[in-house]
Amino acid sequence: MWRQCCPTCSLFPIAPQHKIGDACLMENTSLSPKPFHFAAAFGAGSLLTLMILCNGTLAAYGSLFFASWVPHLAGSVVALILLLILRPRRAAKARPPIWAYLGGVSGGVTVMLTSATMNTALALSGTIALGLAGQVLFSLFADMRGLFGLPQRMPTQRDYVSLAFIIAGSLVLIFFGGEA
Amino acid sequence: MIIYAALAVIAGLLVGLSRQINGRLALSTSAMESSFWNHFVGFAFITCVALIIGGLFAGEPQASPWWAYLGGPIGVIFIAAGSWLIPRIGAAQTAMLIIAGQMISGVVLDIAMGAPGSPWARTFGVALILLGMWASRSKRPKPITKHTHSDN
Repeated sequence: MWRQCCPTCSLFPIAPQHKIGDACLMENTSLSPKPFHFAAAFGAGSLLTLMILCNGTLAAYGSLFFASWVPHLAGSVVALILLLILRPRRAAKARPPIWAYLGGVSGGVTVMLTSATMNTALALSGTIALGLAGQVLFSLFADMRGLFGLPQRMPTQRDYVSLAFIIAGSLVLIFFGGEA
Repeated sequence: MIIYAALAVIAGLLVGLSRQINGRLALSTSAMESSFWNHFVGFAFITCVALIIGGLFAGEPQASPWWAYLGGPIGVIFIAAGSWLIPRIGAAQTAMLIIAGQMISGVVLDIAMGAPGSPWARTFGVALILLGMWASRSKRPKPITKHTHSDN
């Protein structure tokens, strides 16, 4: 019966461990991340710290454009090589809509905005803190609406509680944890 | 000032927007292909803007240490991970777990590099974040089959 709840299940064939039932539960409301998802997201956050360290160092020697241009160039080359080696299977035969290729533009604008606000009274800490707010607001709204064709998922009370703790802890670290 | 604060919030919104769009691309292709297009399209875009505004090679970029160039390869894995996660655990869970990882690893890095900072604030901040992560690990959703049993 519950198979019907999930028309998007067929969009998930890339992950063999991702069973149809799991996808349905996710749509239902409150799938908690599995330990592997947990580790992957947490690890991605750690990679982000290293990335900011690298790009920030580039920016200290060259221009802010350079510090964004070089990682995008190097990233394109590395991703292309990885694609050629790994040859991941395409998840769907249907071509994605053309706008789905434009995520990089949004990322490019982000760099320009943050490099503008960093040099105002907001400084790095204010820029990061307000950026976290924007990111969280967008992600909650995106989940509620299932924006851009991703699965819809109503945030639970638990989600709001844990978000509040994580944001509070982040603000403590940003404003009191060190000399940013 | 209000304008700059708004710009900083918009920068955050765009981070979410980009992750959502990349996630959609990964649904049709693969996480790695999504990461490639993110970097390639971003590269083309920044090149155009830099050509218009100028100053791409200002400063002494050749003087930077070699490891500073590793940001790109690290970003490839970061974007691929985000694109893989977002359709599986949702945008909000993805965002908050990435933020948690970023903040806690930032503290570790600061301590490792000997950056000055308040130990109690670091401990308190990390504790709040860990508490938040613990809270997000909700109980298993009730099996749906149970409902059909009782309905019958």
